[in-house]
Amino acid sequence: MSRPLFVSGGLIVLLSVSVAGQSPASTTTPARASYDIDFIGPPLADPVMQHAKETYVLFGCAYCHGVTLTPRGEATDLRRSALVGADIDGDRIVALLRAGIPQTAKLSPMPQFSDLSDRQLHDIANYIHYARQESRYTQIVDATRATGDAAAGRAYFDQQCASCHADGPSGIARSYDAPTLRDRLLRPPALSGVRSFDVTTRLDAKRATARERHNHLLENFTPAQVANLVAYLSAR
Amino acid sequence: MTRRDFGRVAVIGWSAMLGLARSGTAAAAQAGAVVRRNNRSLVGGVQFGLQPFCYHDLAMTPENRSTLVRRLVQNGMGLVELHATWVEPRFAGPGISAEAAREKLRAWRLGNPVDHYRLVKKEFDEAGLDIFTYYINVNDSFTDAEIDAVFAGAKLLGARGCIGSQGLDVTRRMARFPGRHGMFLGVHNHDNLSDPDAINNEASFVRALGFSPDVRATLDTRHFTAANGDCIQFLEKHHDRVSSVHLGDRRKNNGRSTPFGEGDAPLIEVLRLIRDNRWPIVVLLEFEHGTLRPAVEEVQLMFDYCKRALS
Repeated sequence: MSRPLFVSGGLIVLLSVSVAGQSPASTTTPARASYDIDFIGPPLADPVMQHAKETYVLFGCAYCHGVTLTPRGEATDLRRSALVGADIDGDRIVALLRAGIPQTAKLSPMPQFSDLSDRQLHDIANYIHYARQESRYTQIVDATRATGDAAAGRAYFDQQCASCHADGPSGIARSYDAPTLRDRLLRPPALSGVRSFDVTTRLDAKRATARERHNHLLENFTPAQVANLVAYLSAR
Repeated sequence: MTRRDFGRVAVIGWSAMLGLARSGTAAAAQAGAVVRRNNRSLVGGVQFGLQPFCYHDLAMTPENRSTLVRRLVQNGMGLVELHATWVEPRFAGPGISAEAAREKLRAWRLGNPVDHYRLVKKEFDEAGLDIFTYYINVNDSFTDAEIDAVFAGAKLLGARGCIGSQGLDVTRRMARFPGRHGMFLGVHNHDNLSDPDAINNEASFVRALGFSPDVRATLDTRHFTAANGDCIQFLEKHHDRVSSVHLGDRRKNNGRSTPFGEGDAPLIEVLRLIRDNRWPIVVLLEFEHGTLRPAVEEVQLMFDYCKRALS
């Protein structure tokens, strides 16, 4: 294992390191001696998101809301939360984390995290979005079996997609089969995967907006909406 | 008196007081059963145990009970507060409605499953673990007979009391049951200050304790602190009605849970208060702060922190 692992608030521990004067084999760090892989899960491919995940775990979010957002006990299901679905770049989640929810009918109110830094609060929000996207992707792929309604798909496309895809569906659908088309709708290959820190890529505002927009759609799509879109685009 | 002498005196005191000095009812009969064969988590006269909710990666199911026992021993615990979900069979499943599963569970409880409880107790006995309390969240769906059966089952486990996070109304209803079994009913605070039925501060504890002499307080230092309560003052005033402390750290003003020593809960002071006054109050470690460490490792850090506090 040579992937960096973040522990204790961002300190990088290289699991396999080479130290001057010693062979790599003799300096291999025992993997995850203090990393609860059974609870947290294996490290993510994207180290930035792994750090966000560890921040989410370190401040106790996972004990109530679950590492993969499967809630425990009376906690809100963040996979279905309207607030999370409406959040853009932490604008709602961070405010809620700062204030908590002291007035509640539940046994334990949601605590406030006002002592955390902006960066930590945004990391928590980012991980919640990531985990929600993972969950929604699985849910939609599992559910999108039936044929959708092409007319409804067209209406959705005109409302949600056309502002960016001005050339209409012909520029999207090409000759993909339905499952491939669905996957490309949910996770456009050019926008998915580990985020690049190449300066040109980072300064590509159109790309950044597209990525954010598609992630937002993924978090809020219903399986029926995806089926309708696939039906519409496949018919072109 | 050396520290060792103090420990010996304290264990006798703890044992006797839990059973005898605490209750006006049949709880006195419990005294003999309290003396531990292998009290590995008695530290400086303070009896420690664990709320095994701490093992966050471990689902609280009967299937995981053997792992729980192994971990408790690994962490040097001799006492535990055992949640009912570690003990009772699960009836929920595909094709079974929640209502049907609830009825099956009720029938199981009322079926007097003596052998089952004895088998569970044997598992803990053989590992040198004492089941101090049985944690179960009773609500309005429980019949009186069912509440009585829960206490009877808990007694078979060797528990001295049943405890839960029920509110004041349910506590009032439950308060007449523990005395029938020579046990106590524990009430546990959270920090919901917006619910008039919640046990969340000194005043609500006092109301709950007033329902019966068999009601005891389990002071959760995390939630009490988050609700801006004063743990020290509460213990000074009500220690004779406190059966246990859920020891953990949090920040004030509905703040977050923290590792031991990073929050506002006066953990060292609570431990020394219990030790120096020889109060028979059991300290149950519990954490809800996040960690990347395996739970066994985190529990050990907490326990070591407490040992240093008492050294």
